[in-house]
Amino acid sequence: MSQAVAALSRPRGGRGVALLSILVAGVVAFFSLGLDLRDLIPDRGGLTVLGKFFSRALSPALTYEASFVPEGTQPLLLKAIGSVFKTVLFAAAGLGLALLLGVVLGFFASNAWWVGDVSGNRNPIFRWVRRSMLPVVFVSARVLIAVMRSIHELLWATLFLAAFGLSDTTAVLALAIPYGGMLAKVFSEIVDEAPRDTVLALKGLGASPLQVFFFGLVTRAAPDLLAYLFYRFECAVRASAILGFFGYPTLGYYLAASFENLHYGEVWTYLYVLIALVSLLDWWSSAFRRSLAT
Amino acid sequence: MSTDPKDTGGSTTTAPGSTRWQQITTLRRQRPRRRFATRSLALLLALLVGAWFVGNFHLDDLIATKRIENLRRFANEVTPYPLQGQPFDLGTALTWAHEIMMEKGWSGAGKTLAISVLAIVLAGLFSSTLSFFGTRTLVSPEPFITSLRPPSKIRAAGWRAVVGFTRATFVVARSIPAYLWAFLLVSMLGPTAWPAVLALALHNTGILGKLTAEVNENLDAKPLAALRGMGASRSQIALFGMIPLTLPRFLLFFFYRWETCVRQATVLGMLGIVSLGFWIQDARARNYYDEMVLLILASVVLVLVGDVVSIAMRELIRRRS
Repeated sequence: MSQAVAALSRPRGGRGVALLSILVAGVVAFFSLGLDLRDLIPDRGGLTVLGKFFSRALSPALTYEASFVPEGTQPLLLKAIGSVFKTVLFAAAGLGLALLLGVVLGFFASNAWWVGDVSGNRNPIFRWVRRSMLPVVFVSARVLIAVMRSIHELLWATLFLAAFGLSDTTAVLALAIPYGGMLAKVFSEIVDEAPRDTVLALKGLGASPLQVFFFGLVTRAAPDLLAYLFYRFECAVRASAILGFFGYPTLGYYLAASFENLHYGEVWTYLYVLIALVSLLDWWSSAFRRSLAT
Repeated sequence: MSTDPKDTGGSTTTAPGSTRWQQITTLRRQRPRRRFATRSLALLLALLVGAWFVGNFHLDDLIATKRIENLRRFANEVTPYPLQGQPFDLGTALTWAHEIMMEKGWSGAGKTLAISVLAIVLAGLFSSTLSFFGTRTLVSPEPFITSLRPPSKIRAAGWRAVVGFTRATFVVARSIPAYLWAFLLVSMLGPTAWPAVLALALHNTGILGKLTAEVNENLDAKPLAALRGMGASRSQIALFGMIPLTLPRFLLFFFYRWETCVRQATVLGMLGIVSLGFWIQDARARNYYDEMVLLILASVVLVLVGDVVSIAMRELIRRRS
């Protein structure tokens, strides 16, 4: 009864307006792009590609399609497995560095350890630091995080390619910077919104603000933090595969090369490998989340 | 604990062998253990650290002499062209930036925004429709209410197949990154904005569809069972029972995904579709690094604007639901 009353007393009338304005925005976007529905039907050249491409969907290549394969070339399937290895390697290294950046920046971008109920320190020096220094650190950490994650990993890669030239390290950096920003943002938000029950208990025992932060808040937020880390690993693997389009030796590199050589069977092999890899990681991260929930 | 509270309250030592220590070890032994979670975490961390030892990654390589020279040349070229070798003058820099923005920046940013909006609206339409076909509780021989006569096995399998097929479509759609979808579509549809729009729409349909189907399944079953009891069909349950209940959550996901769409739409331009990324790639190809950096900064502003709008909308939804 009371639930029904609560439901009735909610502000209403917003939904229809919201949905309608979303649809209007879509229509405006359609016309501003000057799109033509007829362009959705491929022209003759496009149709040929389409036909040839999809005719190989159920028969991915198991060996190379090229008529001449130089002596000593790795078998296709080994190459595919090797590219998966590289893809995961780049993603893991990128996320490893991102985790480091995310934890450090996330700490400074979180306000739970120096604002409000966590810090009850009466020490005048600490209070001076808190009032004058920490807000500056806090704001600059936030700005840094915003810039890091607002530049897409492929744009970071473009920048690094121009600045340093092609090397595996630049690919890892291109992944680590935006992902570090994202981890820092989400970590700080999760920690700031974690339940405060343990915090109160630890404060009652006389723990220092930092002790309260690390043993009361971070531990309380840990399941969510780790679940997010797993989810990000899946994203990093996808991003790492795409970095191949920029010349790094991950899945995207071989896929693009096969596509440009019109070896569509090989393209499907790489596509299926990618789908299998991402699905596996998807399963892993949701299984991890489920095992934390029970 | 069975120990006398006076006993533990009084003792302050936690030396091994004391009652307090015993209590701690018992508590430790009784703590909930999640073997799968612990092992997964250990494996993930081992991967993140191990990759640095296995791969050919050296952060110090970036400050090697050759790279530093590259970097110095880059830093020089990043200075706005009219200011290279000149004393800094804000007016000149602004004129230079204004010209590039008028010629490419604003139109590129507008196109990026339009691509992201159209893509997410399409993804919203597709995924909200498809999500019901992937909802196990709804797509079953007896949704929410069991009948007296058990349904035949063949019918049950048919319904399960519908759910399975929809879920598999979601998996494929979302495991292929938008950039890869766009790469494949450009070769078939040519360099209009469609490949970018469709690529983003497909990838996000997979994500939104899966998330919405899960929300549908976790809804409180009672009101839906009541609808069924009054003779509502499956589509009526979906339209008048599920949509009103899932809508707030769906809109939260919708705006969250739109944020990423803005980011992605920029980058998809690198495949030859006229969004900001096209001009970024173009500037890079011509070695106009000053222009490239300016346009990347424009994309940052665009992304931040998108974030602010999205956060405001999500806050509004949260407050009203």
